[in-house]
Amino acid sequence: MRQRWVVGALVLAAAVALAVGPADAASKLIRLTFYYPVGVAGPLAKVIGEMTDKFNKENPGIEVVPVYSGDYDPTLQKVQTAVMAGNPPDIFIVEISELPTLLAMNAVIPLDDYVKKAEGGKYWDDFFPPFRENSVVKGKIWWIPFQRSTPVFYWNKELFKKAGLDPERPPQTWAELKETAKKLTVREGNEVKQWGVTVSGGWNDWLFEAFVRQNGGWLINPEGTKANFDSKEAVEALDYWVDLMHKEKVGPPHSTWGSTPPDFVAQRTAMLYHSTGILTFLRTSAKFDFGVAFMPKNKTFGAEVGGGNLAISRKIPKERQDAAWKFIEWMTSSGNAAQWSLASGYVATRKSAYEVPAMKEFLAKDARYLVARDQLQYAAGKMMAPNFQKIREILKKQLDDAVDGKVNPKEAMATVQKQVEAVIKR
Amino acid sequence: MTVGERFRIWSRRWRLDHLTTHLTLGFFALVTVTPYLWLLSTSLKLRTEVFTPTPKWIPWPINFGNYAEVFDRAPFGIFLVNTVLVVSGILAAQLLTITLAAYVFARRKFRGVDLLFLLFLIQMMIPIHATFLPNFLTLRNLDLLNTRVAMMLPFFASGYGTFLLRQAFKQIPRDLEDAAVIDGCSGLRFLWHVLIPLAKPTLVAFGLISLVSHWNDYLWPLIVTDTPDVRTLTIGLGMFVQQESGADWTLLMAATAFVTAPLLVIFLVFQRKFIESFMFSGLKGSR
Repeated sequence: MRQRWVVGALVLAAAVALAVGPADAASKLIRLTFYYPVGVAGPLAKVIGEMTDKFNKENPGIEVVPVYSGDYDPTLQKVQTAVMAGNPPDIFIVEISELPTLLAMNAVIPLDDYVKKAEGGKYWDDFFPPFRENSVVKGKIWWIPFQRSTPVFYWNKELFKKAGLDPERPPQTWAELKETAKKLTVREGNEVKQWGVTVSGGWNDWLFEAFVRQNGGWLINPEGTKANFDSKEAVEALDYWVDLMHKEKVGPPHSTWGSTPPDFVAQRTAMLYHSTGILTFLRTSAKFDFGVAFMPKNKTFGAEVGGGNLAISRKIPKERQDAAWKFIEWMTSSGNAAQWSLASGYVATRKSAYEVPAMKEFLAKDARYLVARDQLQYAAGKMMAPNFQKIREILKKQLDDAVDGKVNPKEAMATVQKQVEAVIKR
Repeated sequence: MTVGERFRIWSRRWRLDHLTTHLTLGFFALVTVTPYLWLLSTSLKLRTEVFTPTPKWIPWPINFGNYAEVFDRAPFGIFLVNTVLVVSGILAAQLLTITLAAYVFARRKFRGVDLLFLLFLIQMMIPIHATFLPNFLTLRNLDLLNTRVAMMLPFFASGYGTFLLRQAFKQIPRDLEDAAVIDGCSGLRFLWHVLIPLAKPTLVAFGLISLVSHWNDYLWPLIVTDTPDVRTLTIGLGMFVQQESGADWTLLMAATAFVTAPLLVIFLVFQRKFIESFMFSGLKGSR
């Protein structure tokens, strides 16, 4: 009898343990979905996987599941579809100009309360100011800088030598650039064998904004409410492009973002405007020595930033948002910001990341990676507005037509102004 | 013998008329195959050998490492299995739905048949992106997100396939059906024993088109799946194309070679049937 009682008690205990145990563990574990795009070459999907694994091990109650979601555009589409279907990812990265789009969808939460408490209140000020700019709208911080880039200027030292130029001295000003580009352009009859300078197409709207900055102007105010495309500064900047690509013909009027780094490697162009994100590609692909410099100035040096930020969804429970913040804070710590920069070639987003030993050691070997950081003192946030995709298309069309000589710069920018105003007001 | 006659005999001996045909065909074949050869060549190159001032066709030193690296970056083996399952699942369901629908539209007379067919045609004209959100919601309600079925379900019916097959069925002479009916073979048996065998080239053609287009699907699988264990080849391929920095060309080409190879093999196996189907569509009722 007694034995039977013991067995019965054991069975009951086992049943209770089975019923309660796993359920209890499941309620404690918060599983977060994290959509991320891959913007630059390299085994970045693997790097993200390794980083989230490490986070999950250090934080037993949370499991972050990284979901690769394509380039920036497909990622935005995936996020939008999921948000509209009421099934949003907890954390996601999209391109920084999409913030107004996300706000219009009411997709993200402000992070001010988290940011204030992080790292004893010193967290936010440690990010480079231009990287912070695209986070703040209506006085609130909406997302945290993560994979960030900025355009820089590359030059082929070997081709400089061949043309009798000082290979250690890249052009400093627009005027110098034009003269240098003339000397570096090689023609056989009517055919160009080697371009002097390539201002990469595809994201030429992004590069154009940098030229306007160098000329002391701006295109859209940070609030995304006012367009300034027909300003004197913008028209002059486009005038300069037309000079390079149409009148002097020292640069190709048309190219794609993906084709110009290979052109530079194949020595079909001697100088190149492109993202700092291609530096590792160039370093591992080029057989010649090349340098990285600030983009030449006109009135001032100038650049703007690009890339993607980390955001937290609005329509998820508070405890998930708290866990999501824990992950974002971890991903953007000095040490991890440095590690991510080393693995990806993106600019590290925080000043203190450059004090991390591994980073210092790496930069001691190749100082070219420091140029993008140093140029940040002249950089500003990237223009953003609702329906930014549309604004990009409008601007790109007029830029392309102008460097083709189809329309003069003044008219082109007037057209952009009119069309963009219509988009913004809607 | 005049020079002209001598030339004619000479050219007949060397089949010169065939020679020009073959030269022309060879030329176009070369044009078609060049990108693929370049892809193979690039996939075996070192990164520093890809963009040389003069293009190099023969990769030297040969670098098989790209293929190893591609497999190291993403589970392409699993992706391949998933792709095959998804693509063949879609095709199997489509073959069933389009033959039945095409049979009804081609052979059955009832009120509203033309209107219904028109609706089917309209379905072909709706851009696929417009259906993403409703389809996503349906799948979420069925709790099917992040499964292989999610990638297949929206494509089980095909307006294009129904249209193609209906036209093929219509071209089969009525006399055949009358004869079959007299012999006591009607309805589905007629479909199975007469119509389908006669429309085989069309079915093969549609099958190849369906196979290729779903093999290359990118956005829909990307949106409805989250984890690598259910994802398909194109998503793996996407990892090598980057918006901010351009592409990792050697790896992208190695991955592309791997992704397209199965399709090429399938096409080579079925090419005769595929070409026949286009011949067939030009010979009205001769079969």
